Amino acid sequence: MKRNVAIIGGGQTYHAARRHDVNQIEMVNEAVRAALADARMTIDEIDTVLVGNMEFFEGTHMTDCWLVDGTGAYGKPGLKITTGGTVGATIVCAGAHHVASGLFDKVLCIGFEKQEEGDTGAILSAVAHPLYGRSMAGAAVGYFAMMGTSYMAAWGAREEHSAMVAVKARQNARKNKYAHLKLDITVEDVLNSRMLAYPIRMLDMCPASNGACAMILTDEKTAVDRCRKPIWIRAMDTAHNEQFELDWRDVTTRKPIFSKVSAGRLYKRLGVEQPSEYFDVFEIYEPATWAELVWYEDLGLCRPGEGFMLIEEHKTEMDGPIPVNPSGGVLSTNCIGASAMLRVWEAALQIRGDAGEHQVPRDVRRALATAYGGTNWTVLTALSSKKDD
Amino acid sequence: MPSEERGRELISIPMTVEVPYRFAAGKYMTKFLMELRDNGKFYGIRCPVCKRVQMPPRIVCAVCHVQNTEWIELSHEGTLVGFTIMYLPLTDPTTGKPHEPPFSYGSVRLDGSDSVIDHMLNIEPDIDKIRVGMRMKAVLRPREQRVGDLSDIVYFDPISQ
Repeated sequence: MKRNVAIIGGGQTYHAARRHDVNQIEMVNEAVRAALADARMTIDEIDTVLVGNMEFFEGTHMTDCWLVDGTGAYGKPGLKITTGGTVGATIVCAGAHHVASGLFDKVLCIGFEKQEEGDTGAILSAVAHPLYGRSMAGAAVGYFAMMGTSYMAAWGAREEHSAMVAVKARQNARKNKYAHLKLDITVEDVLNSRMLAYPIRMLDMCPASNGACAMILTDEKTAVDRCRKPIWIRAMDTAHNEQFELDWRDVTTRKPIFSKVSAGRLYKRLGVEQPSEYFDVFEIYEPATWAELVWYEDLGLCRPGEGFMLIEEHKTEMDGPIPVNPSGGVLSTNCIGASAMLRVWEAALQIRGDAGEHQVPRDVRRALATAYGGTNWTVLTALSSKKDD
Repeated sequence: MPSEERGRELISIPMTVEVPYRFAAGKYMTKFLMELRDNGKFYGIRCPVCKRVQMPPRIVCAVCHVQNTEWIELSHEGTLVGFTIMYLPLTDPTTGKPHEPPFSYGSVRLDGSDSVIDHMLNIEPDIDKIRVGMRMKAVLRPREQRVGDLSDIVYFDPISQ
């Protein structure tokens, strides 16, 4: 990057299925105030505000204008960004580009979703091509169900393996005071939960959450002057799939899939040979249990077809050798427009050592965050405690 | 926090928005849908560079970024690469009506195609009766009932082996 970019603060709301106590502006403002307080900054110091959510989930367009009181963007340069599930990470990516380019020194990034105010399933169906496949596109659950059947058929995994992912997420979430689903559950509980779309059961799927996240990115000088422990954005990468070719759920495909392509490029840029050793913690975007197993493989944490063995061997637990989603992840909290930013923010908190009860018990120097947009693209963000390593 | 909500009246106002759309199929999709409607045939298109046969046909190969020109007739038979049994009454966005659960649907790769198509499966929604790798055959509506969209395919039938 042309200039180094640091995360010097952030904040999130608590996440819940119901937030009738606040409207969208008030909810967003909770996260903005938390982020400014964390960075010990005032809104006057912010150069530009980038905000985003999932298109039309809340039934309002021009959310950048609607929310201007809450975001603090009044009179400032700024943009709205909407890129589906990736949006939170896309905003951070765009914010980092704005700082790296030298255009701005202090950028406020905001992602939010108030899912209860709209019909998530109906709006998500519009992610599909209108004339090809939309009839079947009722909700995300069907896509992940097919990913699950494909995964089991290809690699010999069982429903117990996805259930283990569900348990890990919700047990981790119990230690995260901001998480939505904090459930003391077992593998049996997951397997006994209501079937939604085989092999996805209720507890295999993320909740519909309300919530917001905000982060403050700055240039190196501001970061060093103002922040006790800035977290450096070392690298970012994005990649798209091909329209109509949703073969990502056909886990045996040999086609270059967005997640693998993007990870390969990012690793090359950083000189990563063994990602499970290079990064100390991962915050990945897993709206369903099977997606986590696929991410293990796409990120090269194991060989293709071995993702389910990582969870079986407890490798990705909070205190395991490859901690994945100590926050509880998307499976525990999915306020879609904020979810991908929460991955980056939670990764930053781990490096700062400020994750609280869900801090992984090791020295965290580097972390990787991922995102899913629709089922077709990703934004990866690599963070470090050092600006050059 | 939610506890503050207890005992307090909070107003929220319900609202329903109906939005009509009309989508142009475009040159390539129009040919695909017309062949399906009029002749009961599936057509894909082959990229002149990477040779992938893509369905639905599209003007540009995303990988090679060259114009696709060679139309290829595809089989009505293919292989199931993924499936689910849906237990939720999901609304069909193209009709506004729910599909009656439980029902099975899946992703089928037609012989000769590099792409897959998602559609209903005419298989009892029983996990012991469906498996990835099954051979499937498309069943179309009778000619006089076909309208020129994907509903011209009723479902995919398993091919008994």
